[in-house]
Amino acid sequence: MKRSFLGVFLLALILAINIVTTQFMVHQFFYEHYTNTLACVALNLFLFPVALLIYKKEIHKGGKKYEQ
Amino acid sequence: MTDRKNHIPFDEDNYTHNIERNNERMLDRRGFMKTLVGAAGLFAISSLPWGTIAAKELMGLSKKEYSHKKIASLKAVAVGDSVDFSFPGEHDSALLIRLSETRFVAYQNACTHLRCPVFWKKEEDKMICPCHHGEFSAKTGKPVAGPPRRPLPQIQLKVENGFIYATGVKRYEA
Ligand code: FES
Repeated sequence: MKRSFLGVFLLALILAINIVTTQFMVHQFFYEHYTNTLACVALNLFLFPVALLIYKKEIHKGGKKYEQ
Repeated sequence: MTDRKNHIPFDEDNYTHNIERNNERMLDRRGFMKTLVGAAGLFAISSLPWGTIAAKELMGLSKKEYSHKKIASLKAVAVGDSVDFSFPGEHDSALLIRLSETRFVAYQNACTHLRCPVFWKKEEDKMICPCHHGEFSAKTGKPVAGPPRRPLPQIQLKVENGFIYATGVKRYEA
């Protein structure tokens, strides 16, 4: 049984980007830089389908659990 | 008594002995990936309100009407004193400081770190946040020490007939 951790790695990367973007978004909002805020919102929204896609691609990678 | 401990009431009762393999309950690779996708979804949804408000602000940016508000009479505020008030809403607490005979400044005094109320400390010539020792310059509202990074929003003032009025909240330079 060999596992593929590529999906885990990519999804963790997305989480990291999400965190950074969200923090930046909130700060830019209070600075009244609303265009930047909107850009961050768009990025956050875009990352969700990407994450879903990675998940779908990666879920069956590596050895099957019950295979000998 | 020992009997009771080992007694299983029903044969079918398998609610607590249903783990068949070691570590079955551990979060496996798939479960972990699922959690991460869920987190991404959560981030996406939670950024929606910020986006909505930002878009609204962008569209109605140019015109923001503030009704003028009387803060205090000139005589009531000595040089170096400060007055608490609220502007524009009744929950937006603010601080007026008389720096000199003719110079007044006012800021919304919710600290830009975590929104504790900032107060004026005459002896140190600074506005101080009691929560994490943030300090702001009274002349500009800019943070000079501690965690805050963003200046306090300045309130525009007008002196008329011996009274001080708040007329608006200044925007940050874009
Ligand atoms: S809330 Fe003012 S310094 Fe933290």
